[in-house]
Amino acid sequence: MNSASGPHLSSDDFDAWMSGAPSAEARAHLVACPECRERAEAEREIVAMISALPLMSPAEGFADRVMQRVAVPDPFFLRSIARIRQRLLATRRTAVLAATLALVVVGSMAASIVWSLGHQQTLAAMGTWLMGQASQVGWIGIRGIASNLIEQPWYSPLRDSLAHPALLGAASAFAFLLYIGGIVALRRLLTVPTRQVAHAHG
Amino acid sequence: MASSPEWATLTDQQVVLLARGGREAAYRELIRRYERPVFALLFRMLRDRELAEDLSQETFVKALNAIDSYRPEFKFSSWIFKIANNAAIDHLRRRELDTLSLDGSPHAETPEAMQATALQIGARQESPLEAVEAKELGGAIESAIGRLRPEYRSCILLRHVEGRAYEEIAEILNLPLGTVKTYIHRARNELRLALAHLKE
Repeated sequence: MNSASGPHLSSDDFDAWMSGAPSAEARAHLVACPECRERAEAEREIVAMISALPLMSPAEGFADRVMQRVAVPDPFFLRSIARIRQRLLATRRTAVLAATLALVVVGSMAASIVWSLGHQQTLAAMGTWLMGQASQVGWIGIRGIASNLIEQPWYSPLRDSLAHPALLGAASAFAFLLYIGGIVALRRLLTVPTRQVAHAHG
Repeated sequence: MASSPEWATLTDQQVVLLARGGREAAYRELIRRYERPVFALLFRMLRDRELAEDLSQETFVKALNAIDSYRPEFKFSSWIFKIANNAAIDHLRRRELDTLSLDGSPHAETPEAMQATALQIGARQESPLEAVEAKELGGAIESAIGRLRPEYRSCILLRHVEGRAYEEIAEILNLPLGTVKTYIHRARNELRLALAHLKE
């Protein structure tokens, strides 16, 4: 549509006029065209009314309600991951090394799984054979130890003395005390020192 | 980074980085920055305070739980407004809201519920006459915006209430720039016609 002063203003012209930067042609047209001037004023009023709409807030405690449902990541875990990643990717060499290691580990695991799935009978037979061998070796060992013990010169007197209930009780009590003493000594050795020692610094 | 940063000096992107590092205060800062604009957009889209509150909460929970998927080359505001707008449009599609009332939710069944869901205007000191006029004018514009098509409504609210640039609105609504401009101009025309009686 045109008026006596040229074509009417476009929407972009109205936008430019509202933002205070109309083109020279648009400004001249507005002076000459009452229709466009009226529309421009009306648009400005509408925009002013919309911009003046009141600010609104959600109810009190909104942030708390949101945070109850948000999973905040653990900073220590994230830092550890970041540190490991930083170290692995520090140089090209470490990155290649890490990638190779990962490939070897994942590759061998995958190959092992695939082979196991394809050779279940072989695996079962190997398991049975190994169990048989292990129990045979175990029995031979026990029998060897027992034969050795019986042949010792102190074996017969010891057996005779333990046949008496009072001596057996005394021997058990002694063994028990020895065991408790060992536990106490071990605990003292493993306790972490709580006080700092003078030579720990510097 | 300092142990307790000056939040006001940080950009949204920097706050997001801190949030990704497991800083709860950073999450709260993002909520503080956007709770009002997101809530206002949703309220004016849906015209129901309770529903707007629920969807605002959903918007933040969704955004903050997926903070790792946020791409810092885009504005955080665009991202959160996009999530909020999608939530509103989805809701409007599911449940057509054609009965609009400034006095409260159309779904409110008791006077208390209507009051609780009514639009709450800021407590600026006004004379009774001014208050009536402001309510009438504000009510008329709110009502006229509520009658616009949802797409026009999103565009006009983002442009003139939130002050977003055309390009950002196009990004938020996933629309071509030309379409956004057309929607905004059509929306302004419709509002002009709807409010013409106030000038008489």
